[in-house]
Amino acid sequence: MSAKRLARDGIFAAVATVIFMVELRLPELAPIPGVKLGLANIVTLAALYLMGPADAAGVLCTRIVLGGVFAGNLMAVAYSAAGGAAAYLTALLMRKLVTEKQIWVSSVFMALAHGLGQMAAAVLLTATPGLAVYLPPMLAAGVVTGTLTGFAAQFAVSRLKPILRK
Amino acid sequence: MAKTRTWILIILAILVLSLAASVYLLTRRPDGRVARIYVDGELIREIDLDALAAPERFTVATDRGENVVLAEPGRIRVESADCPDQVCVRAGWLSDSATPIVCLPHRLVIELAGETGLDAEVG
Repeated sequence: MSAKRLARDGIFAAVATVIFMVELRLPELAPIPGVKLGLANIVTLAALYLMGPADAAGVLCTRIVLGGVFAGNLMAVAYSAAGGAAAYLTALLMRKLVTEKQIWVSSVFMALAHGLGQMAAAVLLTATPGLAVYLPPMLAAGVVTGTLTGFAAQFAVSRLKPILRK
Repeated sequence: MAKTRTWILIILAILVLSLAASVYLLTRRPDGRVARIYVDGELIREIDLDALAAPERFTVATDRGENVVLAEPGRIRVESADCPDQVCVRAGWLSDSATPIVCLPHRLVIELAGETGLDAEVG
């Protein structure tokens, strides 16, 4: 791995971790477990389009582990790993289905996958299938937050592309 | 590559469906007012809220943390918790909704159900 690539990925991982932790400090959007803006998905998505699948996966894993350590809540790592992995795989799939002008569409499906993954982890960990009543509001929120973070990622990709190519 | 228009329609369809399902699920009424408290999916306590004469406060402690639960005649809530997100506390009173109160960090779930196990045996 070249020094340039290491530095670049490190910056992305740092930005992702900071965004993730700032978001933990924001008040909950709704008294429903798991509903949040999902700002960290912006970085995953931007990393995927700017640097490719391998680097994006590295940035994601670093963020999940560091985020869990700094937030002092290792339980949250299980939920965020399940959600993050589902979102990442969805982003990989969506990259084959959308153009670069439609990155925000990927983001919507990432948010939905994030919710599904998190919910699956929560149901398994608490052994409470009844939690699934929270899935529809989570998905509805995911459409809205996914659209917002999607446009953020799209702008980030179009601005950063010329800079990173140098 | 599908047109943006097609994607917007698909996304709107998902939004409408999930909103409709949310309204249906979150406005359901429980069959009765027996609060069931689960930790790790295991029923640890059952309180018939309608039969409760005086408020009762108790602590559910696990090795992951503590939730202070307050049961009053007809309603129940998590009063305080040492979890980081406080979602369970902000969920407020549970009195006539089939939607459970959840504390994910402590794997605690409180939901309302119909009859108690005891009533079902007698009846």
